[in-house]
Parts: sequence; C-alpha cells; structure tokens
Amino acid sequence: MEAMAVPHGAAAGARKRPVLAAQDIGLQFGGIKALDGVTIEIGSDELVAVIGPNGAGKSSLMNCFSGFYRPQRGEIQFDGGPVVGKSVHQIARAGLARTFQGTHIFGGMTVIENIMIGRHMHMRSSILDAFIHFGRSRNEEFAQREVVEEIIELLEMESIRHRPVGTLGYGQRKRVDLGRALAQEPKILLMDEPMAGMNTEEKEDLARFILDVREARGIPVVLVEHDMGVVMDLADRVVVLDFGRKIAEGTPAEVQRDPAVLKAYLGEGTR
Amino acid sequence: MIAMQTLPQLLLLRGQQEPGRLAQRHKKRGIWREYSFGDVLEQVRGLALGLDAMGVKRGETVAIIGENEPDNFWAEFAALALGAKVISLYPDLTAGEIDYLLNDSEAVCLIAQDQEQVDKGLAIRDAVPGLRHILYWDTTGMWSYGDKGLHTTQEVTARGIERHRASPDAFGAMVAAGQPDEIAVLSYTSGTTGRPKGVIVTHKMMIDNAHRIMSAAEVRPGLDYLTYIAPAWITEQIVGVTMGLAVPMVVNFPESPEQVLANLREIAVEMMVFAPRQWESLAATIQARMLDAGPLRRRIYEWGVAIGHQVNVGRLEGKPAPLLARLLYPLADGLVLEPLRDKLGLTRLSLPVCGGATMAPDVFRLFHAIGVPLRNIYGATEIGLLTLHQSESYNLETVGHWMKPHPDAGKPLEWKLSEAGELLVRGGSFFQGYYRNPEKSDERLQDGWYQTGDAVTQTESGELVFLERISDLRRMRSGDSFPPQYIETRLRFSPFIKDILTLGDESRDFVGALINIDMEVLSRWAEERNITYSTFTDLSQKPEVAALIREDIRRVNLFLPEHARVRRFANFPKELDPDEGELTRSRKLRREFITERYQALVEEIYRGSSTAAVNILITYQDGRKGTLSATVRINDVDEGFNIIELQDNRRAIA
Repeated sequence: MEAMAVPHGAAAGARKRPVLAAQDIGLQFGGIKALDGVTIEIGSDELVAVIGPNGAGKSSLMNCFSGFYRPQRGEIQFDGGPVVGKSVHQIARAGLARTFQGTHIFGGMTVIENIMIGRHMHMRSSILDAFIHFGRSRNEEFAQREVVEEIIELLEMESIRHRPVGTLGYGQRKRVDLGRALAQEPKILLMDEPMAGMNTEEKEDLARFILDVREARGIPVVLVEHDMGVVMDLADRVVVLDFGRKIAEGTPAEVQRDPAVLKAYLGEGTR
Repeated sequence: MIAMQTLPQLLLLRGQQEPGRLAQRHKKRGIWREYSFGDVLEQVRGLALGLDAMGVKRGETVAIIGENEPDNFWAEFAALALGAKVISLYPDLTAGEIDYLLNDSEAVCLIAQDQEQVDKGLAIRDAVPGLRHILYWDTTGMWSYGDKGLHTTQEVTARGIERHRASPDAFGAMVAAGQPDEIAVLSYTSGTTGRPKGVIVTHKMMIDNAHRIMSAAEVRPGLDYLTYIAPAWITEQIVGVTMGLAVPMVVNFPESPEQVLANLREIAVEMMVFAPRQWESLAATIQARMLDAGPLRRRIYEWGVAIGHQVNVGRLEGKPAPLLARLLYPLADGLVLEPLRDKLGLTRLSLPVCGGATMAPDVFRLFHAIGVPLRNIYGATEIGLLTLHQSESYNLETVGHWMKPHPDAGKPLEWKLSEAGELLVRGGSFFQGYYRNPEKSDERLQDGWYQTGDAVTQTESGELVFLERISDLRRMRSGDSFPPQYIETRLRFSPFIKDILTLGDESRDFVGALINIDMEVLSRWAEERNITYSTFTDLSQKPEVAALIREDIRRVNLFLPEHARVRRFANFPKELDPDEGELTRSRKLRREFITERYQALVEEIYRGSSTAAVNILITYQDGRKGTLSATVRINDVDEGFNIIELQDNRRAIA
C-alpha cells in the first residue's frame, strides 16, 4: 500500500502486449451470422468499449471470450493461450472475469457471501474440510475474508455487507456483481451492459467504480454498453460492431465522427 | 492528577511506561484493529521525524483534514511532537473554505485523508503560497496521482523510523523542548457571523480542560470512548485527543460516519460525546422505529418508557417515584429498556455527554427514562469547558455545576453577570486570543474578564441555566422579546421536524417559523396513511403534513407567553443543505442567509397570504445549477388568528 502510485498513460502507449486478442472470429446460429470476421485486441491497460446497435453481436462476442459460445471460425488468445475449446471454468481460472447483463447473484445470500463465491477458485480446502470447518478450511476463510473486505472497501459497500442481496436496490446489486467478478482477481474484466436500467446517479457511481477498479487493479476492462455518454466518458478506445462486423475502431472522438458509425446508428440521410 | 506538560510529553510517557496498554481501536475492513500506546508512539515518532526531515519546523502550522481515523490522531501528535501547531479541518469543508483557513493559520503542510481531500488541497495549492507539502494516508483512489509533492504518511513515517534507528535520542530531545504554554491547536470558531477566527489553544489549555472533566466525572483508566465528533471541534480535542492520553482511554474509531450506529452496537462504548443534533437524531430514530411497530409493541414500549421516566427522571429531579412504578421497574427494564439500550449499543454507556448547543430537555428525559444518564457540558472554544452535569442528581433544564481548572493552569474559575445579563468568566488557563487578530481578541475582554456573549441565570442549587446568546434574543415591534433558540430546540424534538427557523424582528408583530421537515420519518408516516407524494417539495406542502406540524407547534406554544408564541409557519420546499450555505458545517442554521434566500416567503407570511411562490437557486452535488420553483403553503397555527386585527391594534396603541 505504501508504494507510490504508478502513473498510467491514458489511451496511448498502453497497448504493448495484448492480453486478449480475437483473430477473424466467426459465429453462426443456423443461417444467422452473429459474428463475421471480427478482429480485436485488448492491451494490458486499456478500457475498451464495444458498442453497436441491437443485434450487432456485442454480447455474442463477450460470450465467445468467456467460453459460453464456441466460434466456428477464428482464434482467440487470452494471456498467451488459446480460448476456443476450453470450458468456461477453465477460462475463468485463467483470469477472465465478467459481469452480466442483469445480475447473476444469489439473492438469499449476503453481500459478503456473494463476493466470497468469487474467491472459490482461490480456495484449496476440500468439501470434507469445509464440513469440519476447523484448521485449514477456517484459516483459509479468514484469509479470503480479508481479500473480500478490501473489495467491499473499494466499492464502498461497508454499510450493506451483511444484507441479503435480494433486499438491495438494482444499482447496489450491480456493484455486488462487480465485486464478485473482482474477487476472482482477474487479469481482464468483461462487463456486459453494466449501466442498463440504472438512473443517472447510479450510472455515475458505477462509472467511478469502474475507473477506480481499472486504476487500482491495473487490469484492462472491456465494456459492452448502450449508453453513449458513459462510453464517451470512460473508454480509451471504442470498437463499433454492426451486423456482426467491426465497422469502426478508435478513440471516442474519432468514432463519433466516423460516417460508417453514424450510418449504423442513425441510418442514411437522416442527419 | 495529570502533571502539567505538553501532549507529546504525555504520549511519550504512556508509550514508555505502558507500551502494551490498548490505546486505539479502529474498525477497518470489517475487523476491529487494535493499537497499543507502544504502536501509537512508534507511528507518531516515525511521522514526526519524517516531517522534520521534510523541513517542517517548530512553530509552523500543520493542517489535517479527514474523518476520525487513527492516522488523523497520529498526524496531530506527530506535528505537536516536533513543536508545530495543528489546525484540524472538518472533512466536509469545500476547497474555497479551506483556502481561507490555511492562509489565516499559515499552514505549511496539509495532511489529508484520501483522494477527496487531496483534491481540495491541490485545488487551493496555488492560492496558499505558504503551503509546501501535501501528504495523505489513504491510498484509495490515489493510484494515478503521479503529481510531485504528494507523499503518503506511511512513506514519511518509514523514513522517520529509519532516522530513529540512526539517532535514537532525536525524538526525545524534540519532545522535551516543548513547553505547555506553546500553541497546540488553532480551533476555528464556526463563524455564524463573519469569517471564522482561529482560537489559540495551548497545551496548557488542553491539559487544563481534560483535568476539568476528569475531576468532575468518573472516568476510569481504560474506559472505552467513541470518537465521532470532529477533531476540528475543540471538544474532541479535549476529550478524544487529550483525555485519550491523560486518562488514558481506549479511543474507538468507527468504520465510517455512516456506520457509527452499527459500530456502536458492536463495541458498546462507555463514554461518548455527541452534539445535540446527533442525540436528537438518535432519539428520532427510536421514535420513528416505534411509530413503525405494531400497536401492541408500541403500547408495551410506551408503558416501559413511562415507568422508566417515573423512576429515573424522578430520582434525578428529586421526586421519588410511586411505589408501584418502583416495583414494576425491573419488569419494564427487562422487557423494554434494557433491550432498547442493547439495540442501540448503549448498555455500557456510563458517561454520555451532550455539548455544543442547547438541547430540548424532552430529549434528555427520553434518554434518562431508558436508562442512559445523559449529561450536558457547557463552555466556549475561547475559554474552555465551564460546567457539567455532575454527581447523581442534576437539573435537566440547566447545564450543570461549575468545574474546577487544573491547579497549575491558573486561578479557580470565577464568574459574574454583566448588566445586560451576559456571563463573564475568568480563571483557569483563560482566553489566549485569536490567532493574528488582536483587535477581535480585545473585543472579547473587559477588565480581565472574558465576555461569553451568553445570557445565563443560576438555579438555587448553583447550576447554570443557559438562556440564549445575548445577540440572539430578539425584539419585536412591540418591544417584547422572544428566545428563538428556546423555541427551536423544543420543537426539534418532534420526530417530524429536522430544523426550524423562527422569524420575527423589530419590524414584525408576531413570531413566524420556517420548518425543515424530516423526510425520512414523514415519508414512512405518509406511506402508512396512503398519502401519495412525489418529491420532498410535494410532501412538505401536503395539508396533512402541515396539520401534523401545527399540532407540534401548539404543544410548544403552551409553554410560551402570549407574545412569544409562533403564529404562522411554512415548510421549506427543499432540505436545508450545508453545501448551499444554509447550514454551517456543524449543522447550525445560517439565519441571515436563509432569511434572505427565502425573503419572498417571509414577506408573504407577514402579509397574511396563504401561499407564496418561491424560486430558489440550487446547486447540485456535481456543481450544476438549477432553480427550484414551488408554491409554498403558509399555515396559521391557531384558527382565527388575524393579522389585520393585530396590526390595527398596534396602530391604535402607537
């Protein structure tokens, strides 16, 4: 904690070695091309936003990264190893964490318990240990709890740590979801529409937490997002998808001016 | 008795004599972490030597801004150890407010808690030419601040610990050079009028005042104390900072200000000091929760508190409770009072203190009824703590008996009343003046007496009764005067009223009131009764809400002479907010500012209208500005109150 903060460069200079790279991936559901030849690289210290109209293939791309979908074509490299062919839990263990559209957390469990689940892959004690809950498994739980508390502090959830998640508001549940993903100590964080369904204040809170996470953990973040304001404020680089194809890529300002993007969002001749 | 010395000398003594004794407890990341006097001394020694190496010199000023955390106290001790003086700042001050304070106190070093506070420091760095260093202790959010001139206190402390290894006598020599007459703290008065003034507080004053409390109340070594009020307020300097060393106490730091009630329950402290606002809000919490409870539970609660009232308050006031109440007390205690104290974490609380302003005796009575022996303390930053509710029986309408100063600090306290009824005091460590402001200092002195500016009287038993600030007694056109605070503190006891501002001056014929409703309580109240509302503005103007407030005002009016009764009132269409300058940081009302801001409303109240159109410029938290436009209802407290008639009468008399 006492080392001085390392200054991060913003967009430029951070893309030395891609952490996550997709090469020409194609994904088809029957006759529908969800992804068609998408190539994308995520540098080690970037906040990349993936945007696009409905059905552009954003969530499909996330699902390919995290191993839910298996692309028929192309290659995905994560942290120097191939992703395609591996199962979801193997990819997660390799250091890829994600949050979901909506929330995938356990409503009956407390905030701490939910985040603790993210620590599961870092625990070694067996089921038998857990039943006896003495010695190794107990000490392990103490150690894991330290890590969880750090996340609770980072995301400012002290006042709700013992509350069942089902009783929380939507914005707070999203924060728990983010905390759960962080507990994996990931090498990259994928967030699928984190701002959907939030009011302005909740959005601003979460935006700040995303920036905090990225600075505190020094990991790249990939953001699928509809809210243009959020994207333009947060992202170092924006990738635009339309009908499964990458139609533009660049800084928020560049993408905003790109005629192909305007066409995809607004249609032709309406400007 | 504690010997007269400087605070660092006292700390050094504790750290050397009892290094293993528990000094501080801080809830961090869900766990209570403990620091012994040995630990504290090591941190303070390191930071002091580190600051010294950075060039902070004896006699200079170190500013500290942050929540109550051990690091905040360590920073203060370290600055004092090297002979610097300390100015502690309220953590919710804005950069603009800090700018003035740092310049006025000639601060050379700002020790800030976290990113939020560092940002304020960076914002005003150019405006404070004397400021050489900015340090911070919490790295959260600071990951990308590559800015030069920023250091963590941990970094500086580590450097200091190394220096200590190389020259183990340096710290001792530094501390030994301190004198009790040197300035320890500059405590800025909250300044309801004009710019804040820095009151000089010497080490001698700190020890003197700690001694006053320690000899007036039972404070055993090792007592668990909750630090919650800000060290920017002199009371916490005396209690948390000085008594922490002098008693010595275990100072407990809550996880965050929002978590204090939950934390309180976990540690059940033995001593705490709250301002009236905080006690009132605790009382309001109890009342609000009981409003929520079912009828049977509420009945049991009311019965239990009534028995507690008869027995506990009766004993205090020297009126023995009826036999039946005394017989039923154990049952009431077991059924209602004890569980209530337990729920709030007040089971072990033996020295709860209320200081800073007057509080309605009703709030005191409620706490006494449930078995919490709340005591009043009275004093002023300039002259120190003067009176405290002492021993087992005291009058709740008073602020208690006089305390005795430290024998080495000066003569015993003496007091007298001026012709205007103002309290004049001398003795003890006395008023040392405002920092760099001899003119204002002289204004407060009269033939060697300190003028408190307070109107007081004394009861037969020798207890002091605080009436009102002399400058706050207000006269109306008729020449009759009324005590605004007296009315306000008693009305604030209503769970539905958060703040209230009484109106009336020499141009007015009657007393009016502007009310800031308690949204939290009223929203639940409204919900229960199926009263629909959208926003604060909407809820505040509901006729049902007005009727509720009217009842409360009528109840208080009963205790007032005819001319001092509140006649008309309106509810604020928005919450009063310190960020907009409507309240001071310690949540006192900024009367003139509010009256000016709501000028249109005030005029309509006195014109006799039943509504007023109000346009208020507001600033959102992110700095955006907007206008709040609302139609505000104006209500008569008593039906048939006739302004025209009142005015006609006056004219006839004139």
